Amino acid sequence: MPIHEKSLLDPNKVLTAEKLVIDGVDVSGHWNTMILPRTVADYDPDFQKTIRALPGGENVHRCWQCGSCTNSCTMYAINTDFNPRYWIYCTNLGLQSEIVKDKDIIWQCVSCNKCTNICPKDVRPEGVMKALAHWLEMEGHTPKSRSSMFDEEFTRQCIERGRIEDSEVMFKFFKASGEDVKALLTGGWLRVFIERMNNLPLLKAGRIGAFLARLPITGPLKMGWMMLFKPRTRSWARTGAVLAAYVEEQKRKAHAHG
Amino acid sequence: MNDTILVVGGGPTGLAAAHGAASVGRKVVLVEKADRLGGAPILSGYAKLVPSGEWAKDAIGRMIARVESNPLATVHKSTRVTALEGGPGNFSATLSNGQQVQAGAVILGTGFTHFDSINKPEWGFGTYEDVVTTTQVEQMVGAGRIACPSDGRTPERVAILLCVGSRDRQIGREWCSKICCTVSTNLAIEIKELSPKTDVFIYYMDIRTFGLYEDKFYWTSQEEFGTKFVKARIAEVTIAPDGKRLLVKGEDTLVKRPIVIPFDLVVHAIGMDPNEDNPEIAKVFGVGLEKHGFLDRGEHYTSSFSSTRPGVYVGGAALAPEDIDTCVSHGLAMAMRAVGDLAALARKAA
Repeated sequence: MPIHEKSLLDPNKVLTAEKLVIDGVDVSGHWNTMILPRTVADYDPDFQKTIRALPGGENVHRCWQCGSCTNSCTMYAINTDFNPRYWIYCTNLGLQSEIVKDKDIIWQCVSCNKCTNICPKDVRPEGVMKALAHWLEMEGHTPKSRSSMFDEEFTRQCIERGRIEDSEVMFKFFKASGEDVKALLTGGWLRVFIERMNNLPLLKAGRIGAFLARLPITGPLKMGWMMLFKPRTRSWARTGAVLAAYVEEQKRKAHAHG
Repeated sequence: MNDTILVVGGGPTGLAAAHGAASVGRKVVLVEKADRLGGAPILSGYAKLVPSGEWAKDAIGRMIARVESNPLATVHKSTRVTALEGGPGNFSATLSNGQQVQAGAVILGTGFTHFDSINKPEWGFGTYEDVVTTTQVEQMVGAGRIACPSDGRTPERVAILLCVGSRDRQIGREWCSKICCTVSTNLAIEIKELSPKTDVFIYYMDIRTFGLYEDKFYWTSQEEFGTKFVKARIAEVTIAPDGKRLLVKGEDTLVKRPIVIPFDLVVHAIGMDPNEDNPEIAKVFGVGLEKHGFLDRGEHYTSSFSSTRPGVYVGGAALAPEDIDTCVSHGLAMAMRAVGDLAALARKAA
């Protein structure tokens, strides 16, 4: 039995069993196609508050669904499933499942801000896309983004020591994001980076004097020393504690709003 | 020639017309069928008026007092006009109290009738106690408490359905009632003010908060009072299995999915019908009706507020759905028309 308007259905709401026998009657195949109801049975009034409490989502409640954001959207031009207007509507009514359904495309916003520019109600849809991507990540619907991993290590070092150690940030970031550092060093962009930094082409060209004159010595030495001893900014202990407490408090507040 | 002006209808239009004519020294006879002056805002117990935010009994009350205390104005309450003879400058009206009124001009401010929601039975009015009209919510606001009529509880969630008795060919109402969007967004604000924990949802086909009512009511209710706007024409209102909450069923146009949402209170944003007495009014005053049943207007640009009968003027919500402020302006404009036309007659006779 053909299903009309299949485009309106969620594929996972259409159930068809290969083999099914009911009361001794074989109803295998298309004969037992069943569709789970797609009725919206309730709104979650708190979802809008959650998104408004996230950076970028503050104005989502202003939307009146004119569709200017979607019409102007760079991503929509490529993929018509990328529909900011629709996600904003679902946010305002608290239809979380609709947002989760599109978890794999919401983050694709390229922040061109054409929507921000055109929105007659100053909803700032670009910010809402960020807030939604943030929420999806917070709730574990999408994996932690690489930028979040970087931010976490960066912030950790700031709070702990009042300064960052570049190489340690990179090293920990590579580790957290599962980069194969060895592969990067032997054949990836890191190798190219080190070669250029160290003027290896000069060495290959046999210009040993020029190579040695430009060889970075104190930098790497300092880097190694810092990685070993992890120095802190002077009298950081108390400042760091205050900063950590403040960050915690802000997080708690944002959560309470949500 | 008689230069008394007969005003029919004691609502905002008639009160403004009566005052206007009296303010330039004309004698005015005001005839009102109800036992009180004030028209719909007073008779139906409106709360705060749009857009002034003033209580109806204060704002309209001042208009009533101004007319009742004017020595040039004679007011007949609980009275109707039963016959009108003559023409410009020498009308003779018979009142239901047996009196005769001689007048030079007649101003009709006969207003409208609220749509009776019983004519849309699928939306639950008359079946479920907790389905009410905007007029009833106005009265609740006036009394200072929003409650479900069934058991007096404060509603957690209120749905306001727009275009009830408007823009609906099924029931022969092919007009926009103009003011319900604004009234509804204003009520959403007032509900939230009285009961901050109540969530208000407005189900709309379009939002038509015209002119300056856009940001003052629509934007404010959405941005500051958290009213949610859902684009859906409701199919039916039924009762939930718990026998308590109402289920609002329809299709969300934007999600393209059916919805069945529980609510504690469902409010019909009722439209403005032609005055139910219009067929009789047309007969008594000899004026025409337009195709929807409102009073017909003559040429407007150079003969503003003329009806189809010379010397009889019509304005306010008798012409079409209208907001109170505009009705007041119509009233004053009709007074100008009547006085001006009588002055022209007098010049001609001299």
